[in-house]
Amino acid sequence: MPPSTHADDSEMSRFDRPEVRKLSAWWAVAAISITAALLVVFSGGSVKKQAEELRPGIGRDIIAAVGEPTKWIADATPLARVQADITDGLSSETELDEGAFADAAVGSADEIPPVTPSSFDPAAIGLNPSGDLKLDKLLVTGDSMSTPMDAVLARRLSPQGVEVVRDPKLGSAISDDEFLDWGQVSSAQVRDEDPDAVVMLIGAGEGLPMEAPGGGEVECCNPEYAAVYANRVRQIMQTYLGDPDKRLYWLSVPRSRNDRQWEISQLVNESVRVAAVPWLSQIRLIDLVSIFTPGGVYRDSMEIDGRDTIVRDSDGLHLTEAGAELAADAVLERMAQDFAIDAESE
Amino acid sequence: MLFPTVEFAVFFPIVLFISWALMSRQALWKVFIIAASYVFYGAADPKFCFLLAGITIGNQIAAQAIARAEDAKRRQWIVRVAVTLDLLTLGLFKYYGFFTEEVGNVLDSIGLGMPLPLLEVALPIGISFYTFQAITYVVDVKRGDAEPASLVDAAVYLSFFPHLVAGPIVRASEFLPQLKAPRDPNRVAVGAGISLIALGLIKKVAIADSLARELVDPVFAVPQAYGTPDLVLAAYGWVAQVYCDFSGYTDIAIGLALLMGFVFPQNFNNPLRSQSFREFWRRWHMTLSRFVRDYIYIPLGGSRRGTVRNYFNLLFTMTLMGLWHGAAWTTTLWGTYNGVMMSIEHWSRGRLGRPFPAWVRWFVAINLITAGLVLFRSTDLSQFGVFVEQLFTGGEATLWAWPIVLAVVVVYGFQLLPHRPLQRAQVWIEQRNPVALAFGLAAVILFVGATVPSQGVPPFIYFQF
Repeated sequence: MPPSTHADDSEMSRFDRPEVRKLSAWWAVAAISITAALLVVFSGGSVKKQAEELRPGIGRDIIAAVGEPTKWIADATPLARVQADITDGLSSETELDEGAFADAAVGSADEIPPVTPSSFDPAAIGLNPSGDLKLDKLLVTGDSMSTPMDAVLARRLSPQGVEVVRDPKLGSAISDDEFLDWGQVSSAQVRDEDPDAVVMLIGAGEGLPMEAPGGGEVECCNPEYAAVYANRVRQIMQTYLGDPDKRLYWLSVPRSRNDRQWEISQLVNESVRVAAVPWLSQIRLIDLVSIFTPGGVYRDSMEIDGRDTIVRDSDGLHLTEAGAELAADAVLERMAQDFAIDAESE
Repeated sequence: MLFPTVEFAVFFPIVLFISWALMSRQALWKVFIIAASYVFYGAADPKFCFLLAGITIGNQIAAQAIARAEDAKRRQWIVRVAVTLDLLTLGLFKYYGFFTEEVGNVLDSIGLGMPLPLLEVALPIGISFYTFQAITYVVDVKRGDAEPASLVDAAVYLSFFPHLVAGPIVRASEFLPQLKAPRDPNRVAVGAGISLIALGLIKKVAIADSLARELVDPVFAVPQAYGTPDLVLAAYGWVAQVYCDFSGYTDIAIGLALLMGFVFPQNFNNPLRSQSFREFWRRWHMTLSRFVRDYIYIPLGGSRRGTVRNYFNLLFTMTLMGLWHGAAWTTTLWGTYNGVMMSIEHWSRGRLGRPFPAWVRWFVAINLITAGLVLFRSTDLSQFGVFVEQLFTGGEATLWAWPIVLAVVVVYGFQLLPHRPLQRAQVWIEQRNPVALAFGLAAVILFVGATVPSQGVPPFIYFQF
């Protein structure tokens, strides 16, 4: 910064140097077209995949229309496989192998399912929770909704010697197993981290069509859809609850500003509640609806410590830092009934 | 729309082809490029297109009024009104929440607590960049550095998609003359454009995002969970990340513009080899530095009104520059810190006897600059305090994986190495056959694309500014 002269510090003439080779504009068009063609041949399938991840609209329709032929071309040549083999080691992703939703066998129960002791949360039947379990490692996961709460929990628990693994899967959804299969993700998380407890908050992008048990697709939102969704949730829950001392804290999705989104969130929350029934001795359902949107009425801000404070992001869905602090408070309060931690610690 | 995405990979070849096909018919070309730019901008949220259009029309009316005004006083008033409206728009979207919260805190602390209308306003992407460009337009017209353009030209200037969302901040006097005649289709720097796009993608996707994912984000989210070695690496890693993220974006933007026949100003010039804060700001985000120098610091009097006033001007200008980066105390104080350091440098010039060796000056400057950027990166002052406190606690190196350390070393090393061999290599690459360059660009995209996690490429850091 400030010299007080107006020299040509923008260097606008730097491409006029003789060594900068100048060509016809059509070489630029040709070069970019060749690049695009090579990308189609080597990775044409990714265009269609990308379209599936976009919000519905004309943009998605255009990309999807382009994605059909590019996928066909990529599938017709062996080069996509070659590229995948060459770049395989560069991926930053955790290896996902076991536990896909598609591999899970969901039984048809002809008999009356027995109610077992594990269906009861001790606190709900008036027993004092022990609160003496040791929490060495906590996994905080979910979709973008789980941020920045994951960082808040890490800041609160790290000084108490708890290792907090934050693993948000941005843009993912339990109903979108083409993008990321949460059955596989949860298996990989347990395999790699083996946490004592898991905090889960997911629901921003739910509502996508899912494969029905008998084939075909079910669309949101009806009881058939809720059943498929709940079975997926149940598979994830079972994965996280390896032994009786493990705990799972599953947070409900508070009402969003968007009505359609709320319709989906209600189905998600109810599916989670139903899915959790067999393991209520280990699963704690944290109700964020009553904290942030009591009575199902959306609000941007609420009173915290006597001050009106914004708790929802401008998108009307995600939590702000202050909102995340509140959600973390609720989790820690419940967690302190199971584990030897200080819920009040900052 | 982000540059490193499939949507943009579909969008750009089509736009490039039509752009050159229409180039000789300027009226049509301008309408097309405005439409394409609004599609690019509206892909994130279509309603913000109205804001961009409103700012364009408002500043165009002001520029025309300035050109028609006969006396200097009237021109001055029109500029003041236009700039005030631009800044109010920016302030409403960017600083409303911050100021209502802070004012509320102050009123509470003096017992005058009252409910202020809280509103979480969505920040339109790129608003800081295009409002600043709109300001350069009316000010340049008033100063006689640029002629008032037609509404269509002004719309092309403000919306041109390569610079729309994160700069560089192109002045009206730099861009509008390029619209006076069709771009020469026989003098396009194809090699330079393609190699800049490839370099930008490597910086952004392969280096910046990897550093963020594996090192910087985890450490800055919970600094109390890490020891001295990890915090030190994260601090240097953050500087490398933000440099690669922003200069990578700039490289891609300049490269795209070159392929379309346009030249943008330089925005980065090896800032990590700086030996002082003053030099750093001549090498880092150069178009913003020029803006604050020419549109704030010099109009305030610069260094012409005495030493004390110069220090005030420096502090004021740099504090505003910090505030521009975000509605938070951390960014504002970071700006002030830079102003203080530049004032100290100014004061000490010639008072400390013989200058220190260059490597000592570099070592001191780069560490002080890094300390400032740690403050900039912290979510709040208490997190910055924790970071600093943890720096002195010892502990183990848990994040010193060789690819991460190598990435940090490479980012610093490339800027410290002698330039001539690197420039020769760059020229050699740029002069290759465009078909070979196309194969090279495709290879870069495929390789860096393989490092992208399933959630996609995170937005550029400077989008939020």
